Amino acid sequence: MATVEERIRKLVDENLEIEGRPVGRTLDLNASLRDAGVPSADFIAFTKVVAEEFNLTFSPDDCSRFQSLGDLVTFLDSRG
Amino acid sequence: MAMIVRASPEGLSPVAGPWWSPFTTTAGVQVVHVALSPAPACEAEAYGWLDQAERDAWHKYLPRPRRQFTLCRAALRAILCEQSGCRNDQLSFGAGSHGKPFAMAEGACLPLNFNVSHSGRHGLIALSVAGRLGVDIEERIPRRHLEELIAAVMGPEEQAELAVLREPAKLHRFYRLWTLKEALIKALGTGFSTDPSGFQAPPAMRRGGMTGVFSFPHLPSVAWRLEDIGDERFAAALAYELEGP
Repeated sequence: MATVEERIRKLVDENLEIEGRPVGRTLDLNASLRDAGVPSADFIAFTKVVAEEFNLTFSPDDCSRFQSLGDLVTFLDSRG
Repeated sequence: MAMIVRASPEGLSPVAGPWWSPFTTTAGVQVVHVALSPAPACEAEAYGWLDQAERDAWHKYLPRPRRQFTLCRAALRAILCEQSGCRNDQLSFGAGSHGKPFAMAEGACLPLNFNVSHSGRHGLIALSVAGRLGVDIEERIPRRHLEELIAAVMGPEEQAELAVLREPAKLHRFYRLWTLKEALIKALGTGFSTDPSGFQAPPAMRRGGMTGVFSFPHLPSVAWRLEDIGDERFAAALAYELEGP
């Protein structure tokens, strides 16, 4: 079964673009999506995809509080 | 650094610099365009204007957003210094609870409201001496998951209006609507806590009008002037608070 990190990387790969180009699986998990240049609309859509994938109530505001994708992975891991 | 024109006593005056220039002025709100194409000499000069906190942030950005941040922030610093009369080394920035930045000179808030947006090769800085304001700009880049973006950020009527359009009109309309909504959210200053699918752009503007007045459903007592300021290069919108009755 895929780990949380693998699932997040897959969602990033499938859903996020920066200026029309896929972010890709090489995105550094220590980077924030904002620092990577992900536009706001994409960030909001990505939040909804994450909420659906992990079956949780998760707003863009909640997601924006994580400093990095790694922090998001840690949070999702902690939910078990 | 900049050859900028001194502010008039009546308010803000058009400013120009090495990589920024006046874009439009409306009702006391000045909008400046910032050129963000790769320009190593400008980027080096801009970096010199950043304070230590901004240089620390600079290292976290990937190359393209790093350039956008550096050129926009240095232009903002030059403009704020010109308009307020402070020195660059006196200028610092704070942020509200949802991340909206504000400027301070020697620890005191400047009596200037501003908002910054960038996309690709273009940035916009909006400034006003009165009222909250927000600006958004988007290059109209084709999207891999346009339908998913529409579902995530548009209201039901906006979604229905987009559903009957075909490319490239659909993409063009999406960016127009999104910049209108994003400018309003940025003006309100509540960031991602305001769900963009929970409100809709004014109907007259959805039908093509260039200006409109808007109130958030949860905040009907506050009115915002909304303007489409896009051109052939990008979609863009400006929202600013109207004075109460």
